[in-house]
Amino acid sequence: MKHSIKVNINGQLYLEEVETSMTLLQFIRDKVGLTGTKSGCENGECGACTVIMNGNPVRSCIILAVEADGAEIITVEGLGEKDKLHPLQQSFIETGAAQCGFCTPGMLMAGKALLDKKKNPSNEDITEALGGHLCRCTGYKSISKAVEVALSKNNRN
Amino acid sequence: MTFKYVGKSCTRNDGVEKTTGRALFVADMKFPGMLHAKVLRSPYAHAKIKSIDTSEALRQPGVFAVLTGEDVPGPFGVAIADQYPIARNKVRYAGEPVAAAIAINERAAHEALKLVKVEYEPLPFVIHPKDAASEGAPIIHENLMNYHVAPYVNPVGKNIYQHFKVRKGDIEEAFNKADVVVEAETWFPYIHHVQLEPHCAIAQYNLDDSMIMYSTTQAPFVVQSCMQELHGMPLSKIQVVAPYIGGGFGGKSDITIEALVSCLAKAVPGRFVRLLLTREEMFIGTTLGRGGYCKYKVGVSKEGKILAMEGESYLGSGGNADYAVNIVTGMGLAGTGPYEVPNLKLDVYGVYTNTPPIGASRGYGHPEVHLPVERLLEKAARKLGMDPAEFRLKNLLAEGKVNGIGQVMKHENGNVVLCAQKVAEELYKSPKPDKGENIMVGRGMAAYMKTPCMPTNVQSSVYLKLNVDGSVTLATGAIEMGQGTYTALAQIVAEALDIPYEKVNVTNKVDTLISPYEWQTVASHGTWGTGNAILLAAEDLKSKLKESASKVFDTDVKNIKIEGDKLIYNDKVLKWGDLALGYKNPDGSALTGPVIGEGHFVPKGVQNPDPETGQGNAAADWTFGCVGVELGVDKTTGEIHIYRLLNTIDAGTIVNPQVARDQVLGGMTMVLGSTLTEGIVFSEDKGNIRNNNLVDYKIIGIEDMPEEVLINFVETPEESGPYGAKGIGEHGAVGPAPAILNAIYDATGKDFYELPVTAEKIMMALEGGK
Repeated sequence: MKHSIKVNINGQLYLEEVETSMTLLQFIRDKVGLTGTKSGCENGECGACTVIMNGNPVRSCIILAVEADGAEIITVEGLGEKDKLHPLQQSFIETGAAQCGFCTPGMLMAGKALLDKKKNPSNEDITEALGGHLCRCTGYKSISKAVEVALSKNNRN
Repeated sequence: MTFKYVGKSCTRNDGVEKTTGRALFVADMKFPGMLHAKVLRSPYAHAKIKSIDTSEALRQPGVFAVLTGEDVPGPFGVAIADQYPIARNKVRYAGEPVAAAIAINERAAHEALKLVKVEYEPLPFVIHPKDAASEGAPIIHENLMNYHVAPYVNPVGKNIYQHFKVRKGDIEEAFNKADVVVEAETWFPYIHHVQLEPHCAIAQYNLDDSMIMYSTTQAPFVVQSCMQELHGMPLSKIQVVAPYIGGGFGGKSDITIEALVSCLAKAVPGRFVRLLLTREEMFIGTTLGRGGYCKYKVGVSKEGKILAMEGESYLGSGGNADYAVNIVTGMGLAGTGPYEVPNLKLDVYGVYTNTPPIGASRGYGHPEVHLPVERLLEKAARKLGMDPAEFRLKNLLAEGKVNGIGQVMKHENGNVVLCAQKVAEELYKSPKPDKGENIMVGRGMAAYMKTPCMPTNVQSSVYLKLNVDGSVTLATGAIEMGQGTYTALAQIVAEALDIPYEKVNVTNKVDTLISPYEWQTVASHGTWGTGNAILLAAEDLKSKLKESASKVFDTDVKNIKIEGDKLIYNDKVLKWGDLALGYKNPDGSALTGPVIGEGHFVPKGVQNPDPETGQGNAAADWTFGCVGVELGVDKTTGEIHIYRLLNTIDAGTIVNPQVARDQVLGGMTMVLGSTLTEGIVFSEDKGNIRNNNLVDYKIIGIEDMPEEVLINFVETPEESGPYGAKGIGEHGAVGPAPAILNAIYDATGKDFYELPVTAEKIMMALEGGK
């Protein structure tokens, strides 16, 4: 069965017909064509597909597109400004937190959701926000460091 | 020696692409008219295929083709031709493809496969390599002795496809003289690489006998040659393209899904066909790693010298072995660990098992054998009443000592003694911390060594293209899969040409039609091999620039000087960019042509080891290091908390400290998982993988990371490497497992020899007093 949905992604409104079974991840990647959001397990286990939906980080592979009707979504492509990187993108680059880059979009969105919500997150907050986001390259230290660096920049500005 | 760009933590050159979602991976690509494939996989670990009926599946709307083993060529394989793209007559592991459907979309392909009727006759199966090698085990490859094999492969028969021997001195006499003899059996379980990016390949075959394939591969040139072997197309028409890879760790090297996808493309000429694996299929349908069982015995004198070592090791290799042959070699070459052993007998057997094929996996061959060696040395030191660190220091392969295969250790091989001293000093600098009455704190260490086990003459080639603005493009066949190779190689280019790092760009995909040849990106060989090719290409580029300049200035080449990006003759100056596309005379006529630097590197003097003794110059280089661990064991839950993780490694000149440190940490973290939480579990009734998802197969998460990680470098320059550098990608994986087990013993007095050591196993040991 087809449904008509209206979704705002990165400030752009999309009006599309979708099957009931289509996930938000499939909608973002296949319908809208934003492939920055990655599919690692399709079971909500790895966190690579994380996007921000109405201010909260969600695993887009276990949300149906129809559930996102009327929602505001931010994906990695919507991070930062048109001609300027977001502080998190800068800090991920600086600390070498993006190695293969496959978990990176999900990590960035989890980091952004945290920084948007808490002005001064503790180390425990950072670990909790990134918990369940799997990375097989880094050993995580550079990623938590990147979030800390972005945080300190945010607070300086 | 000081460098301008080498040794600096230059910012990774792939950072912007990868943090903005612009880095393109194979699964992100779409092509006109692209079809989708799904694979039907065997539910049995070992079975005869009595019949397959695809007729009903083929009649479904949207289905273009359904293939079985009868429709595809084979067998193929680099070391042993023992595999088919789709199983023929029998299946040898649960997950092996038995049919594949191509359809308009994935769902139609999936639905069609439900209608394929397969009749199996289940056979007894075997998972553990020791069982597979024992008398009466079910035979997995009946025709093994007739297979086509590479010259260094020595099939023995039954399930044993390879026997690697190392012989040195007289172990019998030495064991008789030994004051203490210790023995152990260890098991490094089957593991999965768990790359975050699932395997994906998209291919199109055309009637002019050409094929293009986009694949998540570390080995595009190996894939190209496999496709030629299978289909007989000319190499010049096989275009394998590898963009960024979302993690490899060996699990995307050699051939995984590509042989199958090339057959699918051949079935529907002119159409692109895509196969994207699910997470479950990655576990059951690609390569696994490890699967090493070792039975070791070590004899030492009361003065603390190792006198003799005897090892019998079995590598479980899966339903088809092929690349596992090289893991067997690694277990032989590194079989003593980083210690001098005057009397040595090692037998390493490669054994077929009814598991998915075992392929390269970060550090392959090394972690498997370091486990028994380092556990036994700990045990021997204890029996002697000697400090374990001091005992190790007495036996390490310092400069001038002879390793197990007869190579004399040179200064450039690195300072393993200093690495071990530094780790011991740091690990034991203060008393054990008090973590409360329920926590038993322990410390342990393990020294390690690693060689890039690879064929004797692996090749690396690069081009350096000079642009008119003075920037340089490096074209390489090496793959960037997260390890930072493009950053390190760009730093080497900048150093060699003495141009700013920012002026060097690296091609961000490999294309077998246009990229220079590179064997494959494995074995921690890129910085060393490709780096060496860059040095040669830089010299080539500079000499070609001088030659062009000599024509412009009308003088002999030897009068031209290079300073920065300038070519100087007396008071006349040209910029490199002026010559990049050739120099034009004032009347408009061309004087010189475009300039491009070429470099080709192959290691010299590396031999196949002697088949009877394993002796010879069979390892291109060695890298040494030492790991230290401080942990706590919770008496009430059996949980292990790692507090400190130390690693000091002598990997020659470090090209980029930030990237190198994260490589070591990444390798250690992976093996932290193998040691504590991972390990493939097979069902007892069917032999299929039970934990084929990321909940049941638990890799280390951010919450599991040690509080303190300290990675240090000793930088003894490697003579054969670019600016003294060598590889570092896998080394972090070699030492942690035995170091953790040694620390658990220190904390609890319990000896563990099999991984993973779960909380449950700890509790059983603590309660059972074992």
